[in-house]
Amino acid sequence: MRILAAVDQYPYSVVAVEEVAKLALNTWADVTLIGVGPKLTSKRFRSGEFSAAQALDQSFKDAIRRYREHFLSYFQGEDSPYQQQRCGYEFIEVEKGRWEELYVCRGARKDLKVRIRQGKPAAEILAESYEEGVDLIVIACDQALNCTWQGIADIPQKIANDAACSVLVVKEAPKINRMVCFLDHDRVSQASLEMINQMVTLHHVELELVGVTTGEALRADVEKKMDLVMRYYSARNIKSWIKLVEIIDFETFIKQEAQGSLVALWMGEKSILEKFFPMKKVVRLIRASQSSVLILR
Amino acid sequence: MIKALVSLNADLASSIALRYACQLANIIEMDLKTMHVEDAVQKGSPPGSGWVRRTWENAMLKSGEVEIGQLIQAERLSYPALRAPKMVVGDREDEILHETQKESYDLFIEGALHTFTAANFYNKIRSKLYRHTPCPVIMVKNLVSLEKIVIVFNEEAEFKRLVATFLKIFKKATIGLDLMYYQFTESEEEPPQDSNEDADRILHNARQILMEAGRQTGEIRSFRGLPEKLSELLRDYGLVVSPFRRTLSKKGLLLDFLSRIPSPILLCWQ
Repeated sequence: MRILAAVDQYPYSVVAVEEVAKLALNTWADVTLIGVGPKLTSKRFRSGEFSAAQALDQSFKDAIRRYREHFLSYFQGEDSPYQQQRCGYEFIEVEKGRWEELYVCRGARKDLKVRIRQGKPAAEILAESYEEGVDLIVIACDQALNCTWQGIADIPQKIANDAACSVLVVKEAPKINRMVCFLDHDRVSQASLEMINQMVTLHHVELELVGVTTGEALRADVEKKMDLVMRYYSARNIKSWIKLVEIIDFETFIKQEAQGSLVALWMGEKSILEKFFPMKKVVRLIRASQSSVLILR
Repeated sequence: MIKALVSLNADLASSIALRYACQLANIIEMDLKTMHVEDAVQKGSPPGSGWVRRTWENAMLKSGEVEIGQLIQAERLSYPALRAPKMVVGDREDEILHETQKESYDLFIEGALHTFTAANFYNKIRSKLYRHTPCPVIMVKNLVSLEKIVIVFNEEAEFKRLVATFLKIFKKATIGLDLMYYQFTESEEEPPQDSNEDADRILHNARQILMEAGRQTGEIRSFRGLPEKLSELLRDYGLVVSPFRRTLSKKGLLLDFLSRIPSPILLCWQ
């Protein structure tokens, strides 16, 4: 699994780093911490005369380094998959019964990259996710200011809208009481099932599978998928509850019952949620929800 | 031995109901039978009579047999005694009602997925089947582990009859049993009561009857609150045993309370 954690210099980004660290503890994911700084327009910069020290804001670099240290603090000692290379002479069996002392460097088993890009935040984060083939983008935001990021409105929302992978918008909420996953079509990837498994285990919560209906009943294909999903989690000893919600009651349900829950939405081409609950409403959900929102793809 | 009938369709609710019923059959001595009704009205007007009609009905049953057969096959692993279902063409409620009466079933089980609004629950409670079925009904809303049961009482419950119905089915079962007395409030601002003599009396007497029948009880508690708050307290139970009067008003708080409970409910007619 490859996770991209988008961070900035504000305190809420620590929440994103912590969530990624907890996920990485369970999954041993390859992780990239990415910050986005303003694009320098100076002619001297474009000509390559600036060094990294000159091009990058010192406080920003310091902040991102602190996030790296904070992430690594979740992994102790030599068992850390992100432990740096250790080099030295070792006897290696080169053929059966023949040993040779070789100079060997053992690298980290998993990647931890720390990067800074320059440009527009949403565009750069999305570009990084496409280039690196990321499975999950994690981003926090300033809940006091309508979920802004780096002081700019709707960055997490734009990423949730345009990413090709799943996106977790992390909120600094009190302990969540359950995970609510909305399902209204039958295209559910194995990766998304695993991701929910991880989140439920991480937060020690129960899972509620909410079938979204356009009338009284679920579509037959969605029912079949829901049955399979239930059996999948039951086999892993994860208690799951089923509830049906009509699409017209969707927002009321979110307001009344999903507060204090981690909300996950499976969005896709066949999703009626996309038709009846277009991305501008997802934007509102991300902005208004007191708890984290996971957009699954 | 308890005679139980499970109604099956090719849907998620039936899959959950059958799995729950098999779990129950492994806990109590039960003769578990299943039944599927192909709804004649949904499939269009039956043609003619005699062999033409019989041919039409057989064709309808054949299509249902495969899907229902798959449900049965999947659950035989957990309950090998599960037999092929009775397949019938007709009006679903009429046929099930006729079957429960004719064969004197002790228990009827069907799936009813938990919904956010209460409309589906109200429709089911108000259906001909629920108004006339002679035996208690388990509405399976979710597939939960049957580790603990709770019997819920209120001031209107005919508690002796309720406990007798429970004992008829679960007397020899070794599942944990709690008792709960509830009183609804209509707002969160209503002050708590210091004590409730009715609650104490009913809970004490119910416990006595159970103990005399050799049935131990666990926690015995009394609650007062809004239906939505009280229903959340029952989430940890594998079965909620509740009294139910078929003449209840649609707008009653009891119906609201029962519709909100996510666990399976055993409705004991009063």
